[in-house]
Amino acid sequence: MIEALLQLLLNGAASGGVYALVALGYTLVFSVLGVINFAQGALFSIGGYLTYLLMGGRIGVNGALPGWGLPGGLPFALALLLAAAGSGLISLLVERVAFAPLRRRGAEPLLALITSLGAGVVLVNLLQLLMGAEGYAFPHGADALAGLPDVLVIGGARIRTIQVLLLLISAAAVLALSLWLERSKGGRALRAVAEDATTAQLLGINSAAMVRLAFFLSGALAGLGGGLIGVSVSLPGPYFGIGYGLKGLAVLVLGGLGSVPGAIAGGLLMGLAEALVPSDASGWRDALAFAILFVVLLLRPSGLLGRRTVEKV
Amino acid sequence: MSTPLLELQGLSVRYGSVQALQGINLAVHQGELVTLLGSNGAGKSTTLRAISALVPAAEGQILWRGGSLARVPAHRLLKLGIGHCPEGRRVLSRQSVAENLMLGAYLRRDRAGITADLERCYGLFPRLAERRSQLAGALSGGEQQMLAIARALMGRPELLLLDEPSLGLAPKLVGEVMRALAQLHREGLTLLLVEQNAQAALEIANRGYVLEAGQLTLQGPARELLANPSLRAAYLGG
Repeated sequence: MIEALLQLLLNGAASGGVYALVALGYTLVFSVLGVINFAQGALFSIGGYLTYLLMGGRIGVNGALPGWGLPGGLPFALALLLAAAGSGLISLLVERVAFAPLRRRGAEPLLALITSLGAGVVLVNLLQLLMGAEGYAFPHGADALAGLPDVLVIGGARIRTIQVLLLLISAAAVLALSLWLERSKGGRALRAVAEDATTAQLLGINSAAMVRLAFFLSGALAGLGGGLIGVSVSLPGPYFGIGYGLKGLAVLVLGGLGSVPGAIAGGLLMGLAEALVPSDASGWRDALAFAILFVVLLLRPSGLLGRRTVEKV
Repeated sequence: MSTPLLELQGLSVRYGSVQALQGINLAVHQGELVTLLGSNGAGKSTTLRAISALVPAAEGQILWRGGSLARVPAHRLLKLGIGHCPEGRRVLSRQSVAENLMLGAYLRRDRAGITADLERCYGLFPRLAERRSQLAGALSGGEQQMLAIARALMGRPELLLLDEPSLGLAPKLVGEVMRALAQLHREGLTLLLVEQNAQAALEIANRGYVLEAGQLTLQGPARELLANPSLRAAYLGG
C-alpha cells in the first residue's frame, strides 16, 4: 500500500516537474512582456523531435526525407542539452517574427497572443512536414539510462528509472533557473526589466537583449520538457507538445501568473493530482487538471502564489 | 569657453502632432549644477527623456563632450557617463534596497569600488543603510527618492540628470534631498536638475533655465534668477 502510494507520488512528481518547466517558460516571457507566448507548446514538440534526431533516430516513411538520420547518435544527456539549446534558438526566431515587429510598432500587446499562436501552428506543421505525422519511439530508449537498470526499487516501490531521471533533471533545471533569477546579476537585471524596462535601460541594462534572453530560456525549458517526455514515453506526433503547452498554461494560472514559486508549486500539484487518477480512468486526467484550476481560481482569483493585482484608479 | 559636457542645440521633440519642445539651446559645463525650471507640462521631463534617448529628437542635436548622441541607445548612455534619476523615483519595488543599489552598478566590474560607493551612499542617506534589506516598495516616498538618487550614483555618472527629486516630499525632506545634491556637487559631480520647486533648486544651483510651453524663456546665473521679478511672480510666490 505504502509502496503503491510512493510509486504514485514519484510518477506524479515526475510529470509535475515537466509541467513546471513549461510553466516557468511561460513565466519568463510573461514577466518581461506581460503576454503569454502561445508558441511554447510547439517548442515542446520541437525539443522532443530534436532530441530524437540527435540521438540518431531516423525520419519515418511519411517524412520529407524518409529514412534519413544523423550519422551516429549522441548520448542522451548531450542530445537533450543540444535539443534544449536548439529549441531556445527557435524561440528567439519566434520572438523576432511574432513579437518584435509588434513592439516596434507599439501595437496592443495582446495581439502577440494571436501572432505567437500563429507561429506555433506554423512550427508544428513544419515539424509534421519534416517528420510526418506518425509516432516515434526513441531508437535506444533504454540507452538513455547509461547502463542503469530499467526499473528502480525505491523503498519497495517499483518505478521506471527514466521517471526518476526526468524528475531529477527537471528539478535541477527549475532550481538552477530560480537561483539564477534570484541571486545572479543577470537574473536581477532580468527581474529589473520585468518590473520596469525603461528604468532598467537608464541603469545600463539592455532591455531588448534581456527580452531575447527570456525567450531563449523559455524555449530551452520547453525543449527540455519535450525531450524528457519523448524519452520517457514516446513522440506520439508533432502535436504532442500542444497538450503539454496547454497543461503548462493551466499550471501557470493555477500557480499565479508571473510567479516563479507559483509555477513550480502549480506544476507539482497538477502532476500529483493526475497521478492519483487510477489508470483505468485515465481519460479523466485532463478533466481533473482543469477542474482543479477551476476550483482554485474560484477561491483565489490570482492563483495559488500570485500577487494580487492592484487596480490603478 | 571650453566645450560643454552636455549641449542641446535647437532640440525639438514632438509627441504626434503635439510640439513638446521647440528649439531648446542649453549647455551644462563640467562641475556645474544647472537647474531647469518650469511648471507642470512645460517640457522639463521631455528634455531629460530626449537626452536619455527615451524619446526621439525631431530636430536639433544633443552633444556629449562635443560629439553627437543621435545614434546612442538609452542603455549605452550610462557607460558614456550620463546617469538619469527618473521622475517618480521608479525604484524596483520587488527588489531590496541593496539590490536596487547593486543594479545601479550593473555596468561596473570593480568590486572594491562598488563596495566603497555603497558605503558612500549609505553615508549620504543613513536611512537607506537602516533599511538595506527591505523591499524598496515598502519604503516611504522620501526614502524611495533617496534610493533613486543613490542608485543613480552607484553608476558613477559624470553628469546626473535628476527629474523632480522634490516632488511629493514633505518640506523637511526636500531640504534633506537638496542638501545631499549640493554636497554631491561640491564633491565634483555635474548635475542637471529639473525642478518645479524653483526656490529650492536655485538655492543650490550655479545657473538656471526656465522652460515655458516647450520654449526657454529665461536663463542666467541662479542668483540673478532668484532676484528676477517675473520669475518671482510666476514660480516663487511673489
